[in-house]
Amino acid sequence: MMIREKGYTHWDGILRERRYPWWPITRLGIKLTFKRKHFKFLFFGSLVPAVAYLAGIYISERIEDFRYILRGSQRFLQINPAYFKSYFTSDFLLFMMVMILVFCGAGLISDDLKYNSLQLYFSKPLRKKDYFLGKASVIFFFLLMLTLVPGIVFFVMKLIFSGSFQFLRTYPWLLLSVIGYSALVTIFFSFYTLLISSLSKNRRYVGILIFAIYIFSDIFFGIFFGIFKNQYFSLLSLKGNLQQVGALFFGQKPPFQVPWLYSFFILLCVCFLASAILKKKIKGVEVIK
Amino acid sequence: MTAVIETRNLSKWYGNVLGLSDVSLQVEPGITGLLGPNGAGKSTFLKLITGQIKPSIGKVFIKGQRVRNNYSLFSKIGFCPEQDSFYEEITGWEFLTNLLKLYHYSPSEIKTRAEQALSIVELLKDKDRLIRAYSRGMRQRLKFAQAIAHTPEIFILDEPLNGLDPLGKRKIIRLIKDYKGEGKTIIVSSHILPEIEAMTKNIILIHQGKIFAKGDIHYIRDLIETHPHMILIKCTNPRLLASKFIHEDYVVNVNFGATADSLLVETKNRDKFFSLLPSLLIENNIEVEEITSPDDNLQAVFDYLVGK
Amino acid sequence: MMWNSIQEVFSFFFFFGRRANKTKFFFLLSFLPVIMAMVVKFDQIFSHRTGFDEMSIFSNLIMLVYLQFLILILTLFYGTSICSEEVEGKTLTYLATRPVPKSAVILGKYAGHTLLVILMVDIGVIFSFLILNVNHLLDFSIYKILLRDIGVLTLGVICYASFFTFLGTFLKKSILFGLVFSFGWENVIQYFPGSTQRFAIVHYLKSLLPYKGGKFSFLMFRLEPTRPGIAILALFLISAFFLVLACLFFSQKEYILED
Repeated sequence: MMIREKGYTHWDGILRERRYPWWPITRLGIKLTFKRKHFKFLFFGSLVPAVAYLAGIYISERIEDFRYILRGSQRFLQINPAYFKSYFTSDFLLFMMVMILVFCGAGLISDDLKYNSLQLYFSKPLRKKDYFLGKASVIFFFLLMLTLVPGIVFFVMKLIFSGSFQFLRTYPWLLLSVIGYSALVTIFFSFYTLLISSLSKNRRYVGILIFAIYIFSDIFFGIFFGIFKNQYFSLLSLKGNLQQVGALFFGQKPPFQVPWLYSFFILLCVCFLASAILKKKIKGVEVIK
Repeated sequence: MTAVIETRNLSKWYGNVLGLSDVSLQVEPGITGLLGPNGAGKSTFLKLITGQIKPSIGKVFIKGQRVRNNYSLFSKIGFCPEQDSFYEEITGWEFLTNLLKLYHYSPSEIKTRAEQALSIVELLKDKDRLIRAYSRGMRQRLKFAQAIAHTPEIFILDEPLNGLDPLGKRKIIRLIKDYKGEGKTIIVSSHILPEIEAMTKNIILIHQGKIFAKGDIHYIRDLIETHPHMILIKCTNPRLLASKFIHEDYVVNVNFGATADSLLVETKNRDKFFSLLPSLLIENNIEVEEITSPDDNLQAVFDYLVGK
Repeated sequence: MMWNSIQEVFSFFFFFGRRANKTKFFFLLSFLPVIMAMVVKFDQIFSHRTGFDEMSIFSNLIMLVYLQFLILILTLFYGTSICSEEVEGKTLTYLATRPVPKSAVILGKYAGHTLLVILMVDIGVIFSFLILNVNHLLDFSIYKILLRDIGVLTLGVICYASFFTFLGTFLKKSILFGLVFSFGWENVIQYFPGSTQRFAIVHYLKSLLPYKGGKFSFLMFRLEPTRPGIAILALFLISAFFLVLACLFFSQKEYILED
């Protein structure tokens, strides 16, 4: 029978010989370098010329098609509300926002449902709206970083580069439009994400749903529009509705010949529906039959 | 006796964290209790010997065969995991029968075995309820049922009594003892000493990934006898009681509690003290409310072993 | 022994998958094209629309909805969940401590989930087809197109599911990479010239569908199709390759179930 001695015990195991003894040192060095401040920014910034050269190779294969884009470049480089609208309602930006929602928003409520954390939350002096606000603020942060912050930066940099307040005098309401549209899209996506997150305890399933519903609504619109040529089908598309309302905020011609109020109403309905379902779903106690 | 389970220099790191350090031991048929506080390495050890994780260093053998990726061994092993996880959207019956299918039994044999296992753990009447609707104790019993349904030779049970009521615990303990009587090999892990004590005298103490003691529990406790045992007695007249045994040489220290109805005795010989105590209580007409041993727990044993 | 194990795992997870609430939801999702077909057909009937090309609409449904969306979403979820769900749900223990080879677990689950997705997709396709062609049901020549499209979609499911199964065994954040692959790589690659298109599964699937342009011809942008026989072979080889990789990874990799 054995009792191990107290105190420090020397490890008597056998060291296994590694075939590539330098690999753990290399791996650790790479890991530590990436942890250093500003290194990631520097690293990806240094990749920009590579991306530009790759684009050059691509353009050399497609030179005829690019002549069309270059023809419209004068229009593209005019800084006005249309320029802001084209950024805020671009397909790519909305797509990236949805990807961020999948990444950061999918587990917000579904993880709490999975691990029965709601009881922990509500056993504290916490109201339901505090809980929702706390969760929604996570989404607010990331989405406002993509909308409000760049919008303000665009506006400020325009004033600085132009050296005068002419831009502000010409478009005094533009900043409010930026704030208003950023708030709208952020609040809508927050409700949308939290609603879907509350529907399942499986974060992966929620992530797919967030993406699938957004994309499918657009496909739905595309198919029906292609067949019926009726622009009212744009109301089926979440992206379409956001772009309609975005055009209104920036005083531009909407992409579809549909009253903007309908699009706004649909977005509002989604928010109200989400609110109602969330109120019902989020309870301190779950009764299983 | 030939070892059923053997480990040689078994070690496991999770990144920079040491989960298990240089464990070499042999487990023979019978019940072996694996004791350790939370985070000691019990589950790591059990996962290593069931091949769920790879050892960083060392080897594991069950019945002379290496464990990792040796799936045929699992027809002889029944594993009851610690974590409370199930396929929630099926019933207990469906869960058990579908797992039994993986042993290639015939449908009639699957039915018989499932009924038997559920009957043993008293879940037969709840077999058609969704697992989602099971209580904590029912889930634990279902976990135990899936470990025994295929009548294995080796049982590896990670905290099998968690979440069970006292009656449930007694039934499982009795069942484990019955398996021992059939010549099976059982490793039971727990952080609660009395539970293990009720099952076996043969224990392995594990702490911070290292084996601190292995063998018969009484031997280990006798070694701990060098440290005085503490006994707390709540009674009607503690000072009178103290005066009766204060001159015994195996009573090292007596303290009176903050409230006037208790005393804490330190003794070098628990057995002698407890054989004297009843007669003292009766002779002096002292009523006892409670007798406990504040240091008769695993933490105290470990504290003594690690020198705290 | 291996074949029996695969069969048993398959029957467990096919049964389990059928009962799951998620499957019911995805089944409804896969019926949305059927609803679209019904809306289109009702509109044609009640508005007496002329120049209505049912097969063109059906082809667009197959291309836009099934090929470029539905089978990607379904196989992404079911493929990655083969491993990820067991690890996240901490139920891997129950499978890892049974006398079945680990590769049988992967193959059995893959078979079960793939069959579920194939059923979801094919039933939707059949209903959409029948609704849109309700006036021509006795014209047996149109059924060739249905069978071809079902075949292509089935191949697509098999191939994508195998890739996502591998992704699920290999990566922790498999959903994110899966979405980037499905809606990033698979879409972007078709704009690249030369042989780069052959690095996408969708290229081989589109090579099997004779698409002569129409409203959505931009979807076939720069398609340099591969011969059908080679495309089918490539799809099977890709499926086998990723399944073998998935089995290897699953057998050798250590999955730490977080407490």
